Amino acid sequence: MTFYITTLLVYAAVDIIACIALNMQFGVSGLVNFGFILFQAAGAYTAAVLSLPPQSANGGFQQYVLGLQLPFPLPWIAGAIAGGVVAIPIGLVVLRKLRGDYQAIALLVISIIANIVITNARPFLNGAAGVSLVPPPLADQIGVEAVNTYEYQYFYVVISLLCVGLVLFAANRIANSPYGRSLRAMRENEVAAAALGKNLLAQKLTMFIVGGVMGGLSGAILVGFIGLWAPAGWLYPETIVLFAAIIVGGRGNNWGAILGAILVPVGFFEATRFLPNFGQPGLIPAFQWVAIGSLILGFLWFRPKGVFPERRRTFPNPSAG
Amino acid sequence: MSLYAAAFGFGLVSLAVIAVGAVGFTMQFGITNLINLAYGDIMITSAFAAYFLNHAGVSIWIALLVGAATGAIFSFLLNRFIYAPFQRKGTPLIGMVIVSLAIGIMTSNLLLAFVGSDNVSYHQNPGSTVHLAGIILTTEQLLLIGVAVVLMLAIHALLRYTRLGKAMRATAANATLARNCGIPTGRVIDAVWLITGALCGMAGTIAAMNSDSFAVANGSGFLITILAAAVLGGAGQPYGAMLGAVIIGELTELSAAVISPEYKAVVAFSVLVVVMVLRPQGLLAKFGAMAAAG
Repeated sequence: MTFYITTLLVYAAVDIIACIALNMQFGVSGLVNFGFILFQAAGAYTAAVLSLPPQSANGGFQQYVLGLQLPFPLPWIAGAIAGGVVAIPIGLVVLRKLRGDYQAIALLVISIIANIVITNARPFLNGAAGVSLVPPPLADQIGVEAVNTYEYQYFYVVISLLCVGLVLFAANRIANSPYGRSLRAMRENEVAAAALGKNLLAQKLTMFIVGGVMGGLSGAILVGFIGLWAPAGWLYPETIVLFAAIIVGGRGNNWGAILGAILVPVGFFEATRFLPNFGQPGLIPAFQWVAIGSLILGFLWFRPKGVFPERRRTFPNPSAG
Repeated sequence: MSLYAAAFGFGLVSLAVIAVGAVGFTMQFGITNLINLAYGDIMITSAFAAYFLNHAGVSIWIALLVGAATGAIFSFLLNRFIYAPFQRKGTPLIGMVIVSLAIGIMTSNLLLAFVGSDNVSYHQNPGSTVHLAGIILTTEQLLLIGVAVVLMLAIHALLRYTRLGKAMRATAANATLARNCGIPTGRVIDAVWLITGALCGMAGTIAAMNSDSFAVANGSGFLITILAAAVLGGAGQPYGAMLGAVIIGELTELSAAVISPEYKAVVAFSVLVVVMVLRPQGLLAKFGAMAAAG
């Protein structure tokens, strides 16, 4: 039971970080990043190959690059950096000239291409099977047996939650700063924001990188906990779940993103896990996706601003004082 | 050399399949200004409708018509009961994209719940093989190419020489102005969903006929290929979509022969990315049958 609770908490931390990252892009800046899961995958793969031993280890049953066995905080930091680095070329291709809805489609296509490439290029990141046996953080210092203790599980929860705090702090600082105001101006009306001298491309690219860094970190945390990462785990519908979470929680509001992350990916998928099995295998996952779709439609129809709508920012009338 | 000639022949078949789907998709977008990401899932649903009829003993060619009808009715109802109400409510373009993606995921998973995830194939007779200058095709594949050519000519005639086509072009260019000029834009849009839905269902069924077997999971692959062709040619431009289909269809098959079949999708999409960088409006944005969308 303890393992179940800690697992749930780590998943919640990962989803919260991912939702905050996506909320900074979609909710605050108006960038519809249908390829978000790609950045999480970039962070996860980077953290995995940096903490794994060289590929000849474990009998050499899997192929991957690097395998540097770096000590704990480095793979996570590198994972976050990788998410940001991947965001730069993609952002430059997609954000420069394309119209908003084209951008969304281009990102969707890129995320699917990336998945196909990684699946087929086995020597790079072990192809469709994915990398496995990723050592958890500090495993080499405390020994492999110690990893399966309650203390270690709670330790993992604590460092994950620390990362959540860090990400939330950074995200709120950005959203509430003057820069955040100009991001919201861009979201509301690009032409007007450009006319006021805002460099839209620079703003979009910055938020793309910020979201990429946070996404990469979430991937690194997840891969350290579950120990494996494969293309089947980052198909494009995973991005849609995160969008559903933000639409439900309230886009533009980081607290809403947190609530959405707890309600949709964690609460929803965990709650339906306890349904009795009926019908053919795969029936329940199919209905879960149908329910995710209905959740998106229902909220967009009845409550497009979500459970926690973005706070309407007002300014005191300067002439009144 | 014969390997390339054969690959060119396969390219002809796949470009025919892509062209039918891409023209339907791009007309939907050009006239209704809605990027329907459920398109691939409607294709696979239609293919399965044809599959059940085909396995009940009906000829695949009649089942193809049923597939087209399924796509038409599905798309029409989808617009009437989901998309149009959301648009009337003032949902922004990007919100509509999310709505259509949600519909797509719901469609494919409902289908999955009914038919399962197994690969299936049609009862069909590929006919004798025809050799022509190194190109080897079955008579069925030749017929599929013929169907695509006839459909493309029909779309050309519809847009150029009929009142309905003229009304569609007017609606695409400026819906408000078209309505003020007395064009019943509501009925035009209904017609667009029926026609493009039929193309969608047709494309799904012939894509399934052209592959050895198919499953629900193929829907997203269909969508991506069609998106690539439509965006390559300039979204909203039927002739651009035809050109995009030619490029994507030949490129995928030829690169499969030159490099490796695993990378054929990657090569096609890389071309798409290059076009998005160099010419984001698409290849034929200025010369299309319709005014540039948006």
